[in-house]
Amino acid sequence: MSNSLLTIAYDEWRYWRRSSLAQTVLIIALVLASASVWVTYADVSHTAQQRTHMQDEAETTFESQPDRHPHRMVHYGHYLFRAPPPLGTLDPGIDAFTGNAIFLEGHRQNGATFADQKQSSGLTWLSKLTPAFVMQVLTPLLIIVLGFGVVTREREAGTLDFLKVQGVSPLLLIAGKGVALAGAGLLVLMPLVIGAVMALLDGAGVLPVAGFIVSYLLYLAIWCGLVLLISTLANSNSASFSGLISVWIVLCLIVPRIATNTASVLVASPGKLETDFAVLKRLRSMGDGHNASDPAFTALKNNLLAQYNVDSVEELPINFRGIVAQKSEADLTNVLNEFAEQQMQQQTDQADIARAFGWLSPVLAIQNASMKLAGTDLENYHRFLREAEDTRFDFVQSLNKLHAEGMTMQQDANKYTSLEAKKAATVSADNWQILNNFHFTPLSPQQRFSNSVAAMGQLLFAGAWVLGGLIVAGRRV
Amino acid sequence: MSWLDIRREAGFVLRKKSVVIILLAALLLSVFSVWTGSVEVAQQRATIERLLEGDKIDRDEATSKHDNYGYIAYYTFHLTYAPPSPLSFAALGVRDVYPWKHRVRMLALEGQIHESDTQNPELAMAGRIDFAFVIAVFAPLLLILLLHDMRASERAAGRHDFLIVTASTRHSLWPLRAGVTIVALWSALIIPFIAGALINGVSVNLIVLIGLTVAAYLLGWALLCYWVARLVFPAPVLASFLLGGWLLTSFIVPAVGNIVIEEVYHGPQGGDILMTQREAVNDAWDLPHKTTMDAFVASHPEWQGKTQTENLFEWKWYYAFQQVGDEKALPLAQAYQQTAEERYHAAGWVSLLSPATLLQRTFTHWANTDAPAAWAYERSVRDFHAQLREFYYPLLFNSTEFDRESLVNRPTFQPEKH
Repeated sequence: MSNSLLTIAYDEWRYWRRSSLAQTVLIIALVLASASVWVTYADVSHTAQQRTHMQDEAETTFESQPDRHPHRMVHYGHYLFRAPPPLGTLDPGIDAFTGNAIFLEGHRQNGATFADQKQSSGLTWLSKLTPAFVMQVLTPLLIIVLGFGVVTREREAGTLDFLKVQGVSPLLLIAGKGVALAGAGLLVLMPLVIGAVMALLDGAGVLPVAGFIVSYLLYLAIWCGLVLLISTLANSNSASFSGLISVWIVLCLIVPRIATNTASVLVASPGKLETDFAVLKRLRSMGDGHNASDPAFTALKNNLLAQYNVDSVEELPINFRGIVAQKSEADLTNVLNEFAEQQMQQQTDQADIARAFGWLSPVLAIQNASMKLAGTDLENYHRFLREAEDTRFDFVQSLNKLHAEGMTMQQDANKYTSLEAKKAATVSADNWQILNNFHFTPLSPQQRFSNSVAAMGQLLFAGAWVLGGLIVAGRRV
Repeated sequence: MSWLDIRREAGFVLRKKSVVIILLAALLLSVFSVWTGSVEVAQQRATIERLLEGDKIDRDEATSKHDNYGYIAYYTFHLTYAPPSPLSFAALGVRDVYPWKHRVRMLALEGQIHESDTQNPELAMAGRIDFAFVIAVFAPLLLILLLHDMRASERAAGRHDFLIVTASTRHSLWPLRAGVTIVALWSALIIPFIAGALINGVSVNLIVLIGLTVAAYLLGWALLCYWVARLVFPAPVLASFLLGGWLLTSFIVPAVGNIVIEEVYHGPQGGDILMTQREAVNDAWDLPHKTTMDAFVASHPEWQGKTQTENLFEWKWYYAFQQVGDEKALPLAQAYQQTAEERYHAAGWVSLLSPATLLQRTFTHWANTDAPAAWAYERSVRDFHAQLREFYYPLLFNSTEFDRESLVNRPTFQPEKH
């Protein structure tokens, strides 16, 4: 049994060796796969290096600032850069479409700026030569061109009946041809596997890397199954080929884009500007942290006066302005975070609609599984935004604390009266060592893996359909 | 060739089930792209309306809260935006990547203009179906499916030679059959577009121009299919050739071209612009006012003699160092912009090898949704910001007494008309 299976597979490979079409597409696919791994690896590693370098630079410049008024440092601000994760070398995901630098300062949550796509040639409107794209979209075409005739060829040549009479069951024939196709798929997958091992050495985590490879194996298996299925059902080479190409067009080109259009039509996601207006509306009911005499801070003032048992803010041992800055930053941040979470939720809702189309097209399923495992999806980007916000809040509040404890209110209020007064209202530069080596890391390997389970379920679902179809079709041959 | 021939071939072509399915798919996809494109553009217009309203409320309030030009300039933001053109429903272009709306104020512009309030990045990456995509990418595939086996199928059915000998003229068989197919496909694709274009208010000239461009594009691919279909190979081999050509020109050439272009044209990192600007602006706090003012007067000689300050904090000094900060970062920002332009320009040469990309570039150019349109918008924001400065500088440097009435002349952003 397994002997004849291998014989069938071997025979198919021999057929390909004699066919110049098969050889050409196989070589092209291998070249594309290898080139994409190499080019993307070089590109993403370079980007990672650059961003890490800029991150270090940003921290050094912050920490080497001279003695200053702490509030000046709040507005001097800090920059964070998002370095791509190790598996991003195989699937850069949304990296180019999101800003990679973010400016952190007091009282504001800035958006990430400078998406790479903004400086691109515009040639990547359809595709970028990444390993993910080659495996997701181009390799299925290879499998189609190699395999459209696996069964129809036998049928057209009349050898199918001959094989049946010899006792080769159609299911065995299909299985043998499947092994042959899978062999080709594995060959083209090799560069990606090598890339994945390299990512593993760079610290990508065993579980995501294993999941990554298994998802792509499953995905290619689905396409092998689809090719076998249609080749079994079609009554001519020509019909099989046209049918498969149509399926490829629908699954790879049409459904993913229909998913996008549908998502953006169904869920409106207001941009940052609109969200800012909503925030402003809410903030009008709150105090201005630059103005300590704002009535919104009366309660705070009364509490402090009672606590220190004094009659006026001037008598407080701490700088009331700094206290106000701390309090208002905390209140403001609560509001900002609430709206930021809302906006992220809306984006996730949109993406979820598009992702649900993965039940219809395994291409969408593998795209999602791949990005989630690589850590280059929307959730990981949101994680960056949240971590940036935490960093922002921490350093701004440390500075506000200095503002409250490092000078008297008198000194603070008179800082513009003379150069000496200005100097009195500064704190030592030693206090700027408050940044803690930010380095963005994607979600934990376990988290990334469990996030990808839904997409893998979609792949399994498609696989089950194809397998079921094959068994039914095989029995009818 | 007579009407009878045409009717016969049309009947023959349109009775084939596979042809009907393909034409129907073309029609449905075109309708879907036009519909969702129109919804998208309507959403963009509605967003602008809402933003204009919110912007006015916020500015009025911020203005009424203060009675000092310096504070008002600091706290009032101004909405700038690029409204979608009538044709943008058909070619959504790069508006999901490049910003088309900002709120700017008198502070250093380089710290503001690079913010991009763009849409969902995951959707932007997946790409959309717009009419330009349907024509550029999808239509050639349909043509390949329709035409590649024109002769091979007749050969396989054993009718090929018979058809040849019974054809009345050389043109009444294959060219006619191909022609009928192309016209049918063209109609299926263009009718939804015309409907959408009329609803969105596209000018008739542009509609005709696009109709003709689509026809020319289809004809080009059809000629290739027609020529390949003459080769005596089995249908799947012919289709593989054509598909290979489509894949090469639509996907591989642009993707490889992009890699080469990014290798060749290097520019400053965006982060460098931001950092330079920030250093310049922040260092000014610790510098003597004179240093900043000297640099300011160098580019604004008209304020010579009016730059002396009496206090450690004065608004004119504050805005002067914002201006000087911008001027320090400007060379980097220009270099960044130049790199983008060089890349886009070089991509123009690559697109000569990729008809799909060429068509997409052309459509987005007509629709004002391409990168150059985004740059033009950015320039208009810079111009507007310069107007703001021109408005406030006299008030600040002449130490004009505050007069709320004078704010009536404060510039408002005027978007480019399409």
